[in-house]
Amino acid sequence: MIEVRRLVKNHGLLRVLDGVSLSVRRGEVAAVIGPSGGGKSTLLRCINGLENFQEGEVQVDEVRLSPSGARREMGESLRALRRRVGMVFQQFHLFPHMSVLENVISGPLYVLRRSRDELEVEAQQLLTRVGLADKLAARPEQLSGGQQQRVAIARALAMKPEAILFDEPTSALDPRMAAEVISVITDLAKSGQTMIVVTHAMGFARSVSHTIHVMHGGRVAESGTAQQIFEEPREEVTRSFLAQTRAN
Amino acid sequence: MSTKGRVMRKRLCIVVHPLFVLLLASISLADTLEEVSQRGTLRWGGDASGGGPYIFQGADNQLTGFEYELAQYLAAELGVRSEYVNWEWEMLPQILDRGSIDVVLNGYEWSEEREQLWSSTIPYYIYKLQLMARIDDDSIRTWEDLRTEQGQPRKRVGVLQGSAAERYVESRFGEAVELKKYPEVTSVMGLVEQGQLDATVQDVPIAIHYGREFPGLRGVGQPEAPGYYVAFVRAHDEPLRLRLNEAISNGLADGTLRRIYEKYGVWNNDQERLAEVAQNWPPVVAAAPSRWANLPHYTRLLLLAAWTTVKLSFLSMPLAMSLGLMVAIGRLYGPFWVRWPLEAYVELIRGTPLLLQLFVIYYVLPQLTGVSIPEFWAGVLGLAINYSAYEAENYRAGLLAIPRGQMEAALSLGMSTTTALRRVVVPQAVRIVIPPVTNDFIALFKDTSVCSMIAVTELTGMYRFLFQSHPRLMLEFGLLTALLYLAMSYPLSLMARRMETRFKRIAV
Repeated sequence: MIEVRRLVKNHGLLRVLDGVSLSVRRGEVAAVIGPSGGGKSTLLRCINGLENFQEGEVQVDEVRLSPSGARREMGESLRALRRRVGMVFQQFHLFPHMSVLENVISGPLYVLRRSRDELEVEAQQLLTRVGLADKLAARPEQLSGGQQQRVAIARALAMKPEAILFDEPTSALDPRMAAEVISVITDLAKSGQTMIVVTHAMGFARSVSHTIHVMHGGRVAESGTAQQIFEEPREEVTRSFLAQTRAN
Repeated sequence: MSTKGRVMRKRLCIVVHPLFVLLLASISLADTLEEVSQRGTLRWGGDASGGGPYIFQGADNQLTGFEYELAQYLAAELGVRSEYVNWEWEMLPQILDRGSIDVVLNGYEWSEEREQLWSSTIPYYIYKLQLMARIDDDSIRTWEDLRTEQGQPRKRVGVLQGSAAERYVESRFGEAVELKKYPEVTSVMGLVEQGQLDATVQDVPIAIHYGREFPGLRGVGQPEAPGYYVAFVRAHDEPLRLRLNEAISNGLADGTLRRIYEKYGVWNNDQERLAEVAQNWPPVVAAAPSRWANLPHYTRLLLLAAWTTVKLSFLSMPLAMSLGLMVAIGRLYGPFWVRWPLEAYVELIRGTPLLLQLFVIYYVLPQLTGVSIPEFWAGVLGLAINYSAYEAENYRAGLLAIPRGQMEAALSLGMSTTTALRRVVVPQAVRIVIPPVTNDFIALFKDTSVCSMIAVTELTGMYRFLFQSHPRLMLEFGLLTALLYLAMSYPLSLMARRMETRFKRIAV
């Protein structure tokens, strides 16, 4: 359902993505791991059009994104794509001037123009699902980091996206709060939600994903099932990366 | 902010002034005539800006005018040189009291109020008031034509602020005409010619002198309401006053005055009465009424003017804010062909004085487009445009202060840039800039005083008007005006503080 083909992205002289290809089937959970600076987050941001790229193509169902230049005319397809693909950020990025409830319904309310009453019922269900049913009226700043991230997940879910991109969702959290978030994401994965998770939490990557992609130097160095990557890594890059994370 | 600074300083100086004046007036009691002869010069004050035929710059850029020559003659009679001191017209009596000049000689009409404060010489000229209208305007053929039938729009009559014409039209026609007051003579005539005003009332010498420059105007009916131009000296300068009287009488008797006046085309039969009037001069002045007698009335006038100030600020600031916000968004998110004109707009507006912008909107725009804006709305528009440039910069800073992640999170939900701005970025930016915007509001609030230059009678304009016609109460008016400004701006500060604390917990 998500196809990334030979994606190339330059940051000035620096080549951040160097021909990345990747495909994610409906219902699949893909984790992207690898050393910092390998291009994991950039890949995610390219998939939902927050960053442009110079070569290659991103396709989500029938919506295609092609390299920069033509992007102006693509405003519409960009929005169509983003309606299908939600995103959860490392720093949550909740809207600080809105209550928790307003944050959750902001997408469908302003983008799909659905009725507020209906959305509030749905939002209540979503917040129950992430364990925050009692925080409807709270302001983001009154919540802990873990709670904020769970609201952000509910906000992404409110658009009923076909896929969700998680960009290091637990990196800004202490272990206890990270655990809350991981458990929410794991539940989602079990319910059959398609997702791509960029993460440094190896245990989480291993337990949640069907497929793991190891990125290094702007390329996908190795792809495989969790078991294969962690127990029989084929590439040297994977082996040294895993050795390093274990040492830490 | 330099223009704002200047405007504010000017206002401040007007308000502070009376305190000094009263203080200093009591000190300078020395014999001025003696001083004049020792110094060898007679210092006399006038205002040459637009002051023909009284005092003005002639073809060779030298000062000239019938009063200029009169002063030279008077000085010669006193055996000294004439030393001209140029000053803002309405402040001339104040610098007389301060001792900067010996005598005020510049189209000052005699009035009881003035006689109570200063000593007048015998009149040197008898003026009348001339009504002027457009050549092609058949609806005004006599003075009484200024009154219109009920239901008809009232005639708009422009006068020089603080002039005898203003008092005359006000007392004769009252609410029957729409009286508009301007700080300068020629602009009023121009406004009549262009049709923004229906008529103007001017002192005859002015009508004669400037009438030639406005061929579209004609005099209506006979000049009316004679009055006397006199020179003023300080209240206790009796020797100087008598010496000047003597000089004026001599000039009348030997034809010198007539020669001077004829040179400027202002001699007429009325002047034959000068000698006769001089015999019983000055007229008996009733004892000054209690200082406080009319204070309620004046307070009411000041309150009405304060209401205009409030309307000006509360109408222009929201406009300035919306305009500024649009400019800021255009500059940050618009395509390049929108960005640079907006940047030019901000620089142009910030780099030119508010007063100039008001003049352009009020005087120049109608000439170019044929569409004239009533002065109140010209004021609102001018203030809104001027402050929109400052608000644009505030909002730009506010928008830039919102983390990029906010925009990205909104976009990732599928919002368009416009929706993201409207729902996510702008609401936060607006909260951040509440303190600077409120500061600007308070500044704008005081800047409304500049609108008095285009005939909007707001608080400062009313203060100037009141102390000109009742100089005795300058201090009281000053205090009242300052109090009113404070009473209006202090709640604004309080409101700002409350909003700040309210939004602080929401701010990022």
